[in-house]
Amino acid sequence: MNVAGALVGGVVGTLVLTSGLRAASELGLTRIDLPFLLGTALTQNRVRAKAVGYALHFAFGLLFALAYWVVFRVLDESGWLLGAALGLLHGVFAATALVNVLLPLVHPRMANPLTAAGRSPLLEPPGFLMLNYGRATPAVTLAGHVAYGAVVGGFVSLAS
Amino acid sequence: MTTAPQRDEEGFAPIRDYAAIGDGRTVALVGLDGAIDWLCLPHLHSPSVFAALLDPERGGRFTLAPAVPFEAERRYVPGTNVLETTFRTAKGVVRVTDALSLPDPSLGALREVARRVEGLAGAVPLAWRVEPRFGYGANGARLARRDGVAVAAAGRDAVAVSAWEAGEPELGADAVSGGFEARDGDRALLLLGAAHQEPLVFSGRDAAEARLDGTIASWRRWTETREYDGPWKDDVLRSGLALKLLVYAPSGAIAAAPTTSLPETIGGERNWDYRFAWIRDSVFTLEALTDLGCSAEATAFFWWLLHASQLTHPRIQVLYGLDGSPEAEERELPLAGYRGSQPVRIGNGAADQRQLDIYGDLFQTVFLYVERGFELDSDTGGRLAQIADHLCDIWREPDRGLWEVRSEPVHFTQSKMMCFVALDRVCRLAERGLVDDGRARWAPQARAVQEFVETRCWNEEKGCYTRAAGSDELDASLLLGSLLEYCRPDSPRMLGTIEAIRRELGKGPLLLRYSGEDGLHGEEGAFLACSFWLVEALARAGRLDEAAETMEELLGHANDVGLYAEELETSTGEFLGNFPQGLTHLGLVSAAAAFERAEAAA
Repeated sequence: MNVAGALVGGVVGTLVLTSGLRAASELGLTRIDLPFLLGTALTQNRVRAKAVGYALHFAFGLLFALAYWVVFRVLDESGWLLGAALGLLHGVFAATALVNVLLPLVHPRMANPLTAAGRSPLLEPPGFLMLNYGRATPAVTLAGHVAYGAVVGGFVSLAS
Repeated sequence: MTTAPQRDEEGFAPIRDYAAIGDGRTVALVGLDGAIDWLCLPHLHSPSVFAALLDPERGGRFTLAPAVPFEAERRYVPGTNVLETTFRTAKGVVRVTDALSLPDPSLGALREVARRVEGLAGAVPLAWRVEPRFGYGANGARLARRDGVAVAAAGRDAVAVSAWEAGEPELGADAVSGGFEARDGDRALLLLGAAHQEPLVFSGRDAAEARLDGTIASWRRWTETREYDGPWKDDVLRSGLALKLLVYAPSGAIAAAPTTSLPETIGGERNWDYRFAWIRDSVFTLEALTDLGCSAEATAFFWWLLHASQLTHPRIQVLYGLDGSPEAEERELPLAGYRGSQPVRIGNGAADQRQLDIYGDLFQTVFLYVERGFELDSDTGGRLAQIADHLCDIWREPDRGLWEVRSEPVHFTQSKMMCFVALDRVCRLAERGLVDDGRARWAPQARAVQEFVETRCWNEEKGCYTRAAGSDELDASLLLGSLLEYCRPDSPRMLGTIEAIRRELGKGPLLLRYSGEDGLHGEEGAFLACSFWLVEALARAGRLDEAAETMEELLGHANDVGLYAEELETSTGEFLGNFPQGLTHLGLVSAAAAFERAEAAA
């Protein structure tokens, strides 16, 4: 089970995930913009934030692909179906804990019940299942992560 | 002058009562009574979030006004597109400053409407209400409070309403509202931040106030660096500022107007979407921008024009989207229409029409661009030669003319004049080596067009050029024959045409566009751009006194903040058509600059 397959899968999977989310946004299904959310944690400059956010998102995509690879190693099994199952778990984690709970805690510019838009600007928080960004956001996010997982699983399997 | 704002029973205000604010991406219209009745987000050509202008029931709006009877007066903060409305009531006086904040490097909302309220005397109770209706009123918004901020969202779009010292925002079923009392010395701020395909950014008050102040300073800097120092300077600069509102900053294109379907006839069907850039406006746009010393805007506009037209090469389309797209499919919206004027249209079917005059506009624009010291590359020269060849193949065809008639195509005189202008200018560009040399093909065709105009479009009996070949109707656009140099401005035939137009189409300084059929029902008002063309034609012919007198009369028809619509109802003075209208303001700038040049040459 080759780690290079996981890394390539991570890049391609993140590409699929970001493109899928963007397409859903164009279709009016959601206002989620992960690069914007991630980038504004590091900079207040709106344009720079999106560029930095894309880079961060791909870096996280690689890290998660490595985590998937570890799971595949432990189970001694890989493939797009198992990857998709991991992606589903990953998506549930992202929609509930990661973006909803953890991101507002570490993001210096995101509103939470303890903040108020006083001196500095704050980002609209995602809310439970990220529903604040549109009702279809959980479904879109889950679908995107399932696709990501399937791609990573598929590439790991191909590289074995 | 203080005025009590008027609205009819259905909630429509006179078009004259609006002022425009903008940020180079979109434009909002603010009524004399403090209501923002038109705003498209995130771009000028996007669907509206406020469209009470076209449907007070369904359109949505953002009102802010004293809760007691009031009179209002307003002005733009000098040198800016930031509006200042002063409300006078029996209980005191309050001032509202409205702006679409210009973006700065800090993290702010994608678009931001800032409304600063200052108590000037007494204690004035105020009420405000935000009714967001996304998608031209079609998409009901989901309202919620997110960590203390009122939010309305629908699909890709969302707005956040923040209030400081302006009362606690209350969430209703479909609106956010509040009320407060502004005492002498109080200062409150209402902020509407918008997001499109991204999470909202809730701005802090300090940053929002700083952006508003920065917006005022930025507009002032722009105005201070304008170079025009000729007659009617204040009016010209206000027109320059109005035009700057219509420049879509991301591409450099200039919208004909920021609105759709404000009617040319109240209750009529002449309602069009003007949130596109017309090739026809290009000569005046480039001329106005360079006359005002806006080299950056002129260059951006010129290259937008060439890039957009590349998509349909060698054919030129009548209009293009502000982002350069050739798509402009026309459809109707289920809105009531301004004072019942149906239908409300988005998109513009004129995009598919054949209008031959635009070739003249394109080549005159290129010629002007070169004349004013800008450079042309050889690839562009090659493409222009291909466009000229294409024109040689099609100029004999009938067309719909610059007025975009919806009746059958005919041989419009002005279209043929502009075909001559196109072929004449491309020959001159080729002489200078700026365009691949096709003079052997173009020059004979230019002579043939000229012969067509001089023989078939001249009416000996009336002593003027006519609207179309063989017709005895008149058309004010023939004045462009002088302005765009089809012939000498003091040639006997042009002078005869000017007189005939004034005689048959004129009502004082105002001109109707044309006599005769256009395939649509109803009458329309006087077309203001034509009146400014008349001023310019008179100035170019050396009749400076008449030109100055006409100009002075026309300036009296602007609204209280110096803006013009497309047309004027001659009996009531009411504005008609989309507002504020780029072509009218372009005409004003061009006429003033031409007058200055003619005066200097006299």
